[in-house]
Amino acid sequence: MSVIFGLAAVIAFVGALGVVLSERTIYSAMSLVLNMVALAVLFLLLDAQFIAAVQIIVYAGAVMVLFVFIIALLSPGAEERLRSVELRLLLGGVGAVAFTLLIGRLTLNGITVGANGRLHGALGPFSPVAVNAHGQVQTLGDQLFTTYLLPFEVTSLLLLVAAVGAVYLSRRRRQLA
Amino acid sequence: MSGLFPGFLILSAAMFATGAAGVLVRRNPIVVFMCIELMLNSANLALVTYARYTHTMAGQVFALIVIAVAASEVVVGLALITGVYRSGRRLDLDELSEMSE
Repeated sequence: MSVIFGLAAVIAFVGALGVVLSERTIYSAMSLVLNMVALAVLFLLLDAQFIAAVQIIVYAGAVMVLFVFIIALLSPGAEERLRSVELRLLLGGVGAVAFTLLIGRLTLNGITVGANGRLHGALGPFSPVAVNAHGQVQTLGDQLFTTYLLPFEVTSLLLLVAAVGAVYLSRRRRQLA
Repeated sequence: MSGLFPGFLILSAAMFATGAAGVLVRRNPIVVFMCIELMLNSANLALVTYARYTHTMAGQVFALIVIAVAASEVVVGLALITGVYRSGRRLDLDELSEMSE
């Protein structure tokens, strides 16, 4: 288990670094795909099978195809020249490391994990055993369409607005005057 | 399995920090959007991690919603980028500091 976690975590982080450090945009996109596939493996480790499947289908499938399409359409060879990149990278890197240490420190301070593998504090009813007995997708669907129905509907509204907005933004401009 | 809980969260924090650094450092708007995706993904990882270890379902439901938000953000953002490209300007965020023509 921890071997798989280590491999997937290293791959995910290497992918994340590749997104930021690649000079060519298409390499960044490929690194992001690597990162997302590794994240799907991590979701499987966390007993979130449906999220893992959605991660592959929506992110690595639809979103990244859109990215690669736009990259192929817009910027072949028109790659930025990284001027003063050393200073920027240095500042960004220092900030990133500091942020990671801060979050990690807060995480390890605030939360303790008991010997039985549980967080201290009240646990919800959705233990992995209970969820798997009912079915992971079934449990998620039950929750999504009962307890979280309003966020779900608002999300559908958001998708509609995004679609309308994209059509509006990418329509051919009418010639004024 | 319990020992992995801080590992998941530290990976999530590292990915978020990497994405944030990318947003600050890079000047190609497409790469900046990918870095934003990276940050949203790391947030998803933290949500699912907490959902797993607190035996709740809210984290997974919210991760699904975050994925939908990310998808719609990409659609609108890439439409904006194509609009900028068609207006004949270079795709460089330092030169795109003004939205007005």
